Amino acid sequence: MDIGTIMNTMRDPAGVPAVPQLFQVLAVGTWVFHIAFVHLTLGAAGLAIYAFYKREAGPYWEQMSIAMTKVAKVGVSLLIVLGVAPLLFTQVIYDPQWYTSNVLSAGWAIGFIFTLIAGYCLWFAFYWGNHEGAKRYIGVYAVLSLALFILDGLIMHALAYQAILPDRWMEWYAPGGVVDTSGSKLHAIEWPRYLFIMSLSAPAVGLYLIAYADYFATRSDKTPEYRAFARLLGRTIAVPGLAVSALLASWWQLDHPAATGLSEQPLGWLLPGFLLVLAGLTAAGYQRLHGYAFLGIGLGVLALLAFWREVVRITYLTPFGYIASDYKVHADWPSLVLFFSTLAGVGGLVGGYYLALLYRAGRVQGTYTAEPPIARLGTAAVAVLVVWIGVFFVYGVAIWIRNALLA
Amino acid sequence: MDMLGMYPTFYVPYIGTAWVMGIIGVIHVVASHTSVGAAFLFALLETKAYRDNQPQLMTFIKRYGVFLLVFSYIIGSITGPGIWYAITVASPRGVGGLIHNFVWVWAAEWVYFTVEVIGVYALVYLIGKIDPLSHLKLTWSFALASWATMLLIVGILSFMMWPGSESWYMTGSTNDAFYNLNFFAHLGVRTGSMLVMAAVVGFMVAAGMKDRELKHGVIRMLAPVGLVGGLFSVMMFFYYLQTLPENARVMLKAHLLPSYAAGMMAVVAVASLYLIAAWARPQIVRLWIAVPVFTFIAVVGVWPEERMRESMRKPYVAGQYIYGNQVIARDVPGKEIVAEVETIAEKGLLKLHPFVPDRLRTVTDENRYEVGELLAKIACSNCHSLDPGAPLRSIPDKFRRSTDEDLIAAFLRGPLKHGAIPYMPRIDLPEPEIGAIAHYIATVNAAAQAGTESDTPVADIAPASGPSKE
Ligand code: HEM
Repeated sequence: MDIGTIMNTMRDPAGVPAVPQLFQVLAVGTWVFHIAFVHLTLGAAGLAIYAFYKREAGPYWEQMSIAMTKVAKVGVSLLIVLGVAPLLFTQVIYDPQWYTSNVLSAGWAIGFIFTLIAGYCLWFAFYWGNHEGAKRYIGVYAVLSLALFILDGLIMHALAYQAILPDRWMEWYAPGGVVDTSGSKLHAIEWPRYLFIMSLSAPAVGLYLIAYADYFATRSDKTPEYRAFARLLGRTIAVPGLAVSALLASWWQLDHPAATGLSEQPLGWLLPGFLLVLAGLTAAGYQRLHGYAFLGIGLGVLALLAFWREVVRITYLTPFGYIASDYKVHADWPSLVLFFSTLAGVGGLVGGYYLALLYRAGRVQGTYTAEPPIARLGTAAVAVLVVWIGVFFVYGVAIWIRNALLA
Repeated sequence: MDMLGMYPTFYVPYIGTAWVMGIIGVIHVVASHTSVGAAFLFALLETKAYRDNQPQLMTFIKRYGVFLLVFSYIIGSITGPGIWYAITVASPRGVGGLIHNFVWVWAAEWVYFTVEVIGVYALVYLIGKIDPLSHLKLTWSFALASWATMLLIVGILSFMMWPGSESWYMTGSTNDAFYNLNFFAHLGVRTGSMLVMAAVVGFMVAAGMKDRELKHGVIRMLAPVGLVGGLFSVMMFFYYLQTLPENARVMLKAHLLPSYAAGMMAVVAVASLYLIAAWARPQIVRLWIAVPVFTFIAVVGVWPEERMRESMRKPYVAGQYIYGNQVIARDVPGKEIVAEVETIAEKGLLKLHPFVPDRLRTVTDENRYEVGELLAKIACSNCHSLDPGAPLRSIPDKFRRSTDEDLIAAFLRGPLKHGAIPYMPRIDLPEPEIGAIAHYIATVNAAAQAGTESDTPVADIAPASGPSKE
């Protein structure tokens, strides 16, 4: 049996409920936010540990360690929820690849969950202990936790990478013709790709520190000296970090099989190129440019990475005859409207309200009193939920009655 | 049809993938229901704090909130995708079917989920840092948003049981799948029980509080909410039973109620007594009672509930159109989905399944045991363990450890082929495949018998086959 035909047969017989390209765009777009928080979290965790062991070396390291511990704590929560969206959208159009890859390494896919829980609990243990004058041994929790997160990244990578190597599946599942249903192996790792993606954690936290210094400009408890320290530290991490990432990106570029022609594609070389430009910009402009600008540019680089990953996937799968965009479509408009209206209404108003409160409250010392626009946003947030739930029930009861009683 | 869109198989010895899913599922249900329920308790308490100017209530909310952050948000938010990973590797086509019917619903749930995660941090850390009215709005919106995640997921879960009418099969519309016959009943059960769990966890949190007056006040407010929730949940449960399909009722009567009914009644009794006692005498609330009560609810209440739902769905994993063993059971014209059972009967799994090594596609004397094992994993292991003595409906045990190949084959040729057992898929296989499975089961049983006599490992008795043994 030919693996291309097999993959096309493995597609879900129900088809997809909207044009496949829409899911493709959503998968790529939402992954940008997932990976951004992966980078910020891993970078902040690494820095929290480094600063923790350097507490005696200078006045700000302890404060920095505590701050980064909190960033990583919140970061893990966000990287998880933000991972759900690409997980969902990817498997709509790449279900044969994603599921097969998961089944073939099922033990690891399940292990991923438990190691993530263990890693997160360890991070919390570190967070509770990491106060002024904390005991040295708690650093071990943090190191173990980070190690587990790095392992989880490796599992994610292997699952993503195995998915685009369909001609190897059978040899992994039944080496020498003997079936292995244990799912106990990670079958393929592309080190340049994994190391490159993970390496972006260093520049991510570096650029974040520059923005951090700007964010707290209005808070007198964060002294100008501490902020200057954070800014310089940010630069010190970001510039060499970006250079190393650029090198690793080039390695990945050269690692693609010749038949794919990916190594010659200019688009792929844009990544190391941009990273170098950003390194230069950071070195020269970290004092003058606003920190938020660096974050914006960093997000742009990640968008390019997300796009390029999709190009890589398409390039690997096309020769087998698997084209995501020719998935059978059975349009389902009501549920599509449900998603987009929820995204705009609930995501916008309720999410917007929370973020506005967090952002504003973080910048004042003492109690923050919502200005009228924010207070109205709060009322709108409650209102939109009441309306949403109301519509959900009225609409639902009507359909239920039609199907359960009248049909 | 010359090929089926089947996936490789993942087999977990002894407990099967079903228990892996069950374990992650129970942890998730406990964590997530508690957090949704707690969100409503917060909203009620905070409304009182705001109206009656009792800011001290906020100390309790903060304590509970921090507890939730760790307990529910770490564990709940990881086990959520965790269930997904677990069903993915256990039933790839099952999860695929759900995803392709409900992707937008799940995506909408994801919006809520993201909002909720940001919300829980905001709720906890902004207590005392922003003006009380803004915080009250935050808490109410958080409670409603949390409940919305439940509203959305329950439609999908209850579709897994069945759509309840022919509409969805004809239209293929997500509306008809989502608002299925048992949706509202199921939602009621969960909504009520989440308040019970949240109240009991609230006692755990309150137990450690120093301020006695505050502690007792809080307990007196939580207890009635938990009781009303529990009562509602029980009522909805009886209604829920009325909305189940025939196969589920057979399963329920024959297998489930006999083993679970007593435990469930005990959970209702213990939870109600505890809540009533705490209401009357808040001073009895201690950590060493609250924790065991909660554990009791989780282990004797939620675990059977999750296992029952999984069992009652049988033989299907989703919408009464995908069997547990990943075979499409019936046509769904609304989605142009075509049943596969007849094709398998005609051509056999060995020919149609893309992930069968070529050397096993034809049954021979040399490979019969190995083929039988592979077929058993493909066709049976989603619901049955293949290991003797295993807790997940062990196949060797179901055949009473018989070593009689003809007897086993007669079952495969009879009830199984004709779909005569309401909670099992119709598995109609060609004769050589029946023979291979029967041979495999008989050999495993022979090994188990010999093992109890002399500790001989299965491999020594099973006929050697396959290149690995050459
Ligand atoms: C500490 C935890 C995690 C780390 C370090 C991590 C890291 C990564 C990395 C490095 C990649 C890129 C792999 C590659 O392209 O080679 C990735 C992709 C991905 N991650 Fe995560 N991740 C984590 C948790 C999660 C969680 C919890 C989810 C889901 C809820 C998730 C969903 C995804 C998805 C869907 C992809 C893309 C897969 C694809 O497109 O094929 N991740 N992650």
